[in-house]
Formats: sequence, C-alpha cells, structure tokens
Amino acid sequence: MFLAAFTSGSAREVSPDATLLLRLLQRDVSAFEQLYDRHSRLVYGLVLRILQQAPTSEEVVQDVFLQLWRNADQYDSSRGPFVPWLCTMARNRALDHLRLKSERQRRREDLPDELPSAVVAPDYEKILDEKRRAERVRALMPSLSPQQKKAIELAYFEGLSHSEIAAALKEPLGTVKSWIRNGLLRLKEGLQATT
Amino acid sequence: MKNCGQFRDLIEAYALGALDPEERAALEAHLSTGCADCAKVVEEARWLVSQLAYAAPEVAPSDMLKGRLMQTVRGEAQSEAKPHVIRGKSTIPLWVWAGIAALLLFSIYSTWNMRRLQDEIRQANERAATLLQERQKTEQQLALAKREAMILMDPTSVKIALKGSDVQGPQLEAKWHSEWGVVIMGENIPMPSPHHVLQLWFIPKKAGAMPMPSMMIRPDANGKFVLLVSNPPESMDATKALAISEEPEGGSPWPNNPPRYSGGVS
Repeated sequence: MFLAAFTSGSAREVSPDATLLLRLLQRDVSAFEQLYDRHSRLVYGLVLRILQQAPTSEEVVQDVFLQLWRNADQYDSSRGPFVPWLCTMARNRALDHLRLKSERQRRREDLPDELPSAVVAPDYEKILDEKRRAERVRALMPSLSPQQKKAIELAYFEGLSHSEIAAALKEPLGTVKSWIRNGLLRLKEGLQATT
Repeated sequence: MKNCGQFRDLIEAYALGALDPEERAALEAHLSTGCADCAKVVEEARWLVSQLAYAAPEVAPSDMLKGRLMQTVRGEAQSEAKPHVIRGKSTIPLWVWAGIAALLLFSIYSTWNMRRLQDEIRQANERAATLLQERQKTEQQLALAKREAMILMDPTSVKIALKGSDVQGPQLEAKWHSEWGVVIMGENIPMPSPHHVLQLWFIPKKAGAMPMPSMMIRPDANGKFVLLVSNPPESMDATKALAISEEPEGGSPWPNNPPRYSGGVS
C-alpha cells in the first residue's frame, strides 16, 4: 500500500524518495541523509529566495528537515508526491519567519504551523525527475508577462495578498487578480503541454 | 450567493495564499459544503502552486548545516534505540531529579530575591522623594534668606524703628525695600499671652483708612524672630506706620488691642 503511493502511470516504478521514506520510518539515519542530499539545494534555494538571509534560511531549512525526521509518519503518502509536500512545508515555514520578522502577526489559515497536507499530482502529470521538473518550470516562467511574473512572485515568495500586491505595485485590485490568475493558468497550460 | 463558476476564479489565488480574508472565507465556506468539483480544482491548483518552488534557483546550503542536522538526528536515533526502563528503578534518571530539585531551589531563590529587590527599589524611591522634598524646602528657605539679606543690605531700603509701649522693653527694627518687601527683626520679645499671637499691621496714610492686617509673628524660645513680608498690603508711600499688636490665636482682620510696637515710615 505504501509503495503504491509512489508509483505512477503504467510503469508503476518505485521512486527513490519512496524507498528512502520507507527506510526513514524505520529510523534509518542514512536514508535521512540521502533525502537531505537529494533535496536540500531545492529547499534551501526556495527558503533563501523568500528570506534573503543565509543564516535565517539555514535555521528554517534545519527546522524543515528535523520536522521530516521527527514526523515522517504524518506525511500522507497515499495522496501525493514527496517533493511538492516538502517544498510546501518549507515555504510555509519561511513565510511564517518573514511575517514574524516584519511584525505582521496576522496568520492565514492556509499557511498553518502544522505539517501541510499532501499535494496531489493531477492526472496529466507524469512522474519526472526533479531536474526535469525544475527545467520545465524555469523555462515557462519567462513566458509570462513581466506583470504576471511579478505579481505571482510577490504572492508566492513574499506571501502578499491581492490587496497587498495591488498596494505594492500601485495597480487596481482587479488588474492584479487578473495577472495572477491568467499567469497561473498560462503556467498550467505550459506544464500540460510539456508532459 | 456565488455559484461554482464564480468560485473557480478564486481557486488559483487561494492555493497561492493570495486571497484577501473575505474572499478566502467565502471560498472555504463553499468548500465546506462538500463541492467535489471545486475540491478537485483546489487540489490541482495546489499542485500547480507547489511547482513554483522550482522558480527559485537551487542553492547549496553550507556543510555546517548538514553537520548540525546530522548530529541532531544521530543523537535522537541513538536515544530512541536505548531502553527506557531500568528494572526495579524509576524510568527517570537520578540526574533529572537533581536537576528538578536545583531548578525548584533556584526558582524559590529567584522569587525571594525578586521581592527583596522590589522592596529595596520601593524604599529607594521613598528616600529619593523625601530628599527631593527636603531639597525643595531648603531651596525655598535659601531663596527667602537671600531676599532677606538683599533687603537688609540694600542702601535704598528704608530703616524703620518700632518702639515698644514699654520703654524699658526691647525695640524692633524693620527695613523696607520698595520692590523686595519688608523685613522685621527682633530679640528678647516677650511671649504673647496664652492663645494669642503677635500680628503685624500696615497703617495707611489715608485719613480714616483702617489698619491693613498682615502676617503673624512667632518668636522662638529666646524671643527672637525675623519676618519677611514679600508683598506688603500697601506701598511704602501709602503707609504711615507699621504696628504690632497682640491678637487672638489665628490672627484678626482688625486690631483688637493697642499696639505693643509701632514705628513711622519716613
């Protein structure tokens, strides 16, 4: 059952992450180390992009991986792949740090302290290795208009809401909403077309 | 009431965490109704948003981070592997109990020390307030003494001799400066009768005008006094004489007894 969650398509191959997570549940330290080696560059890059400060970013990354070590059994493996879940947790933690730093104590219910739920891959998504996923997204981002890209980045990397982005960019609220929605839909279309 | 189509426009922003509170609450209320179609779109949007992590450039963290992390993980793995129960003994090691006892003692000491410090601070504040009052009082006395000295030493002050009704008794002396006031001094003054005080009067030049009451004089045990009247009720030019009479305790608005001392203002 557990392994089935990490297989996809007709190949039903077991992903390396799935094997490592199985060993992690057995408290295998070397499996944890391999997971760290496989994903720390991605997680650290994401957190550093959000927080912009290396020492704080390392603290957050340490916290994220310790959560993984201590609460691996809470990961709902039957519902989605590992890396999007890990990145969601890292983003939530980094944004929490960012909000505390800027004394914006307001918290959003969709960015809670606890571990996030699994991120379900859609039907059209096929299992790709991480390198190809990254290349695909990075190739698509420049295809967005500069305004779409800026608005999405402010929301994703700085945790700003529609209203906050509109204020930051001095643009009408409706315009910002359109930029974000159309930009994400364009990204989605691009991802579907390349799978 | 929005339909699914209207909520669909919000779902990508919801997954991104960009919805403002009102719209987020409305969408979540709709999702809580169990709309399976919208829930599926939310899942897809969450996956789409998760892909944005790849938009950040990958960066290798420092080796020190991995070192710290692995040290913590290995330590926790080792402690999990150790048996927790020692036969016939408490599962809590002795050093933990010792630590708790030390913590308790430290806590008691800290509480006691905090209260002691609070008491000391309160006493210090009270002492500071008392010193401040004393200083203000001293400054006032100094200012009066300085004014008295200025009046006594200034050559423009007018000297007034107040002669007693008893020619054998002591005489008083006053000096009046037109701006700074009047200083009256005396020695060996007999104490007034019980329940009586000595009161100073300013006798106006104007015909028929009543004497103007002024301050009360309280000689010390040796019958000595120095009295400063900073604001005389009459100007020097309008005053014919100064007089002192014995009046009921608390003073009187008009003289009840003949003057014991008086002297003309020249």
